[in-house]
Amino acid sequence: MSGATATPSLFPLQNGGDPVLLPEHITELTGLDQFGLAGELLATFVAAFIVGNFILAMTGVAGPWAKRKITASFTDRIAVNHLGPGGIGIIIADAVRLLAKENIIPENVDRPAYDLAPIVIAGSAMLGFAVIPMGSGIHLADPEVGLAFVFAVAGIASIGLVMAGYASGNKYSLLGGLRAVAQNVAYEIPLVVTGMSVVLFAGSLQMSTIVDAQQQTLFTIPGLEWAVPAWFALVNPFAFVLFLIANFAEVGRNPFDMPEAPAELIAGYQTEYSSVYFVLVYLGEFLHIFLGGAIIATIFLGGPAGPGPDELGILWFTLKIWGVFFLTQWLRSAVPRVRIDQLIEIGWKGLLVLSFANLGLTAAIVGVIA
Amino acid sequence: MSTGTETEPEAELAEPGSETNEAALESLLGERAIARDDHLNAPGFVINPNDVQDVLSDLRDEAGYDHLSCVTAQQYEDRYESIYHMKKFADPTDEVSIVVPTTVDDPVSQSAEPVFRTADWHEREAYDLVGVEYEDHPDLRRILLPETWQGHPLSKDYDQEKPQLVTLTEHQNPIQPDHHDAESDTMFLNIGPHHPATHGVLHVKTVLDGETVADVEPDIGYLHRCEEQMCEQGTYRHQIMPYPDRWDYVSAGLLNEWAYARVIEDLADIEVPEYAQIIRTMGAELCRIASHMLALGTFALDVYGEFTATFMYTFRDREVIQDILEDLTGQRMMFNYFRVGGVAWDLPEPREEFFEQTREFLNELPAKVGEYNDLITGNEIFQTRCIDTGVLEPEVAKDYGCTGPVARGSGVDYDLRRDDPYGYYEQLDWDVITRDGADNYARVLCRMEEVEESAKIIEQCLDLLEDWPEDERDVQANVPRTLKPDAGTEIYRAVEGAKGELGIYIRSDGSDKPGRFKIRSPCFSNLQALEEMSEGEYIPDLIASLGSLDIVLGEVDR
Amino acid sequence: MIGVLKSMATTMKHALDGSTFTVEYPTAAPDVSPRFRGVHKFSQERCIWCRQCENVCPNDTIQIVMDDKRNGEQYNLHIGQCIYCRLCEEVCPVDAILLTQNFEFTGDTKHDLVYNKEQLKSVPWYKDIDPLESREPDRGAWIGEGDGEVDYQ
Repeated sequence: MSGATATPSLFPLQNGGDPVLLPEHITELTGLDQFGLAGELLATFVAAFIVGNFILAMTGVAGPWAKRKITASFTDRIAVNHLGPGGIGIIIADAVRLLAKENIIPENVDRPAYDLAPIVIAGSAMLGFAVIPMGSGIHLADPEVGLAFVFAVAGIASIGLVMAGYASGNKYSLLGGLRAVAQNVAYEIPLVVTGMSVVLFAGSLQMSTIVDAQQQTLFTIPGLEWAVPAWFALVNPFAFVLFLIANFAEVGRNPFDMPEAPAELIAGYQTEYSSVYFVLVYLGEFLHIFLGGAIIATIFLGGPAGPGPDELGILWFTLKIWGVFFLTQWLRSAVPRVRIDQLIEIGWKGLLVLSFANLGLTAAIVGVIA
Repeated sequence: MSTGTETEPEAELAEPGSETNEAALESLLGERAIARDDHLNAPGFVINPNDVQDVLSDLRDEAGYDHLSCVTAQQYEDRYESIYHMKKFADPTDEVSIVVPTTVDDPVSQSAEPVFRTADWHEREAYDLVGVEYEDHPDLRRILLPETWQGHPLSKDYDQEKPQLVTLTEHQNPIQPDHHDAESDTMFLNIGPHHPATHGVLHVKTVLDGETVADVEPDIGYLHRCEEQMCEQGTYRHQIMPYPDRWDYVSAGLLNEWAYARVIEDLADIEVPEYAQIIRTMGAELCRIASHMLALGTFALDVYGEFTATFMYTFRDREVIQDILEDLTGQRMMFNYFRVGGVAWDLPEPREEFFEQTREFLNELPAKVGEYNDLITGNEIFQTRCIDTGVLEPEVAKDYGCTGPVARGSGVDYDLRRDDPYGYYEQLDWDVITRDGADNYARVLCRMEEVEESAKIIEQCLDLLEDWPEDERDVQANVPRTLKPDAGTEIYRAVEGAKGELGIYIRSDGSDKPGRFKIRSPCFSNLQALEEMSEGEYIPDLIASLGSLDIVLGEVDR
Repeated sequence: MIGVLKSMATTMKHALDGSTFTVEYPTAAPDVSPRFRGVHKFSQERCIWCRQCENVCPNDTIQIVMDDKRNGEQYNLHIGQCIYCRLCEEVCPVDAILLTQNFEFTGDTKHDLVYNKEQLKSVPWYKDIDPLESREPDRGAWIGEGDGEVDYQ
């Protein structure tokens, strides 16, 4: 796949055809392509800036607000309603409050690990969004190993959790960090193995190919003229449920919110973080929930696919992410957290076995069809 | 000790058939009983300080007094005295008091801890506050006050005016040495005093082996407010009643007030009008529901995490009760509604509105309980978390003096409302709930079913109150303006509080204020069993067990 | 699994019916019952300086200063220390002190909460509820039937 132009390009994969990725769109629209590599680099930064801000607005502003509202509706309360429409202005107030607070760094923390951890936690999740096709042409990069890349960067977060847990010099943080490792090791494997079953269907790790593979019609409901798309969630619901469960453990939410476990470990790995660091850690958690949602949407729910013109893709994609986020909050208000030993047991004895069974099953089906 | 000032009423108040009972006790104790010191509630035997274990184990094994309800210590001019208030779990009206005097110069008495585990903390408290020393006690340290505190606040020679500063350097900071031990692979962890799951200021010293709990030691006293001493400075007639609300302060107020009301009414021989008793019964059961709702909600908080809906639902239901109680008593939590000889007010006017409001709550309750069953107890994850965790075997529960839902969840059929009736409970139709699970799940179920039983009681009270003739609505007995029970009269009386047996011991010194006022707090005894319940389990189970004990630190520390 | 789904259905039911039970204080002032015990109101005109309230108070919240002719000079009440037990109102033979429904008070320091008799006089009624109305029937048990209208200036 060499580029059509003689000059080296940052987008070697897609060069030659019509622009697909956001940086390409920007290059073309602004005429930056005449500046060669530097222009493309600039366009990439602009694109990353746009996508990054979109994600941050969703996770950092709408997320915490929606979380309050959703939890409140489950618990018969009103929640924030004074600042701005629906009280969303509280996020600005919260930001000012949190950033204005003193950043208390305990005496015997292990720096710079302590300082790096929040950045690793938040940054790793942000990286993952780079390869997610969000529809409406918003797609930063589309490497051939897209899915593997997402799992890899999402996995980096566990390092952040361990760093935070260990470097805080607090026993609760340490316990939280240890739990994070145990949990991530136990659930990352089923997660990836279940993801692989999708790859078997799609025949590629490339995100755009996976999305395209889901555009076909699974079957048509007779009489309604309504085509059911071949979303992998519908093709293989078993894998979908497995992936959903493993994902809750991966992002550490009920019933698997072990690393934090507020009633037991105070706040686990984040106990000693305050002010800006706390904002980063908190943001990182939200980013991970949303990234988890984005992965699920992409590989199981047809990515940006939905009724209406393709330009609405981003809307459908956002809706799907929010669906997953809503489910997370729903479980938080309704489901108890399991105990750490039970969690490990479910992971190794249950999910792992089931995910391999699922992989074998999928392989068999794919083999037969092929 | 026979002081020669014993009063007449004791003969009338002692239970029927006590003649033979006392003779049997006398022959059991034989030579060891050196004198009699009867209390209003029970025959009392004075024994020598080195006979304690002997006598107590005989009483438990031979005579069946298997419940060491309370240990009271006090100082007279010429002696210290420890009183062991003993009962039977099978029949709490069958009581006996063992009085152990020691000299002022050398207040050493044998410990009862080898016989009854519950004596451990009770004797530590007696040592801490009064200064009696117990031989053979495994761990005789201060329990409520800091370890470097000077003197024993309830002893005669203590200067109560003199302030004491207990500095951090003197009082060893438990966080300072890191308990690092190269040999062992355990970790010491302070849970509390500031921790989301300790339900107040409780400090649990925990030793962890990985995630497994190797050793647990609750450290209490952070909320010690000298309630006993405050009551000793208040007059019987008015000034003590506001304080019980503040022992178990999470909406169990009327139940606590009843503990004081019962003891003072028995001490001063006051007959409470029937109508007032019905109002009391209704109010107390409302408090019990509110209190159990809170217990359920906070337990869910411990098991679910802070975003659980259960907590808000229980608070919503508790709120309705608090509104009813506010209409009735004038306050949402610190009710001060009971008076010596009755209650402060009749039902609020218009009465129909009050009845309607309360009935509406009762009518909605079954649906709500059903909802809780759907939400909590039916949830499989909840069941895997709670079943077979925090196991408290019935015999262990008895040994630790556990009462209330904690004991009943372990299958100990003990409820003072039925076994030692007071108020109007005897005339009403309701059941005592027991569960055999002995685990966290059984305790949760026990509380939820008790809520339904309480609702039954309230329902019947409402019917009675509604039909009560208008000219017979006496809410207060005729009580003299000052109460001065005869000097030397002693009494221990208990009621079934929200958490279990809430007892009060009063010794009158002839003035209008108590000479000694001792509170037997159910949470204090229940909390002691935490060690037994959580060792060898995981941290989450420790937290859940602590939650299922439903302690209120205000009542533990007093 | 059925139980987990039931739990989720229960919370969803609550989310969908949209009802809330929280009060938007201070936008909406909560209703307090007529018997509610809030900040005290004192009437010097009625007070006969018998000091019964001072005596009955369980934690010495009321402090009365009189001159040598037993005329009242000061009536101080620490509303931050008070436990709102209502015993002072109960023993008062002339209804000179009573507890209003007003629970809204603040102070920057605890000394701000020591009210003298002028401050106690000017404590407002909460939502114009006259506490005596709901309590009158029972006051007879303590002080005998009151005669005539009670005027609290």
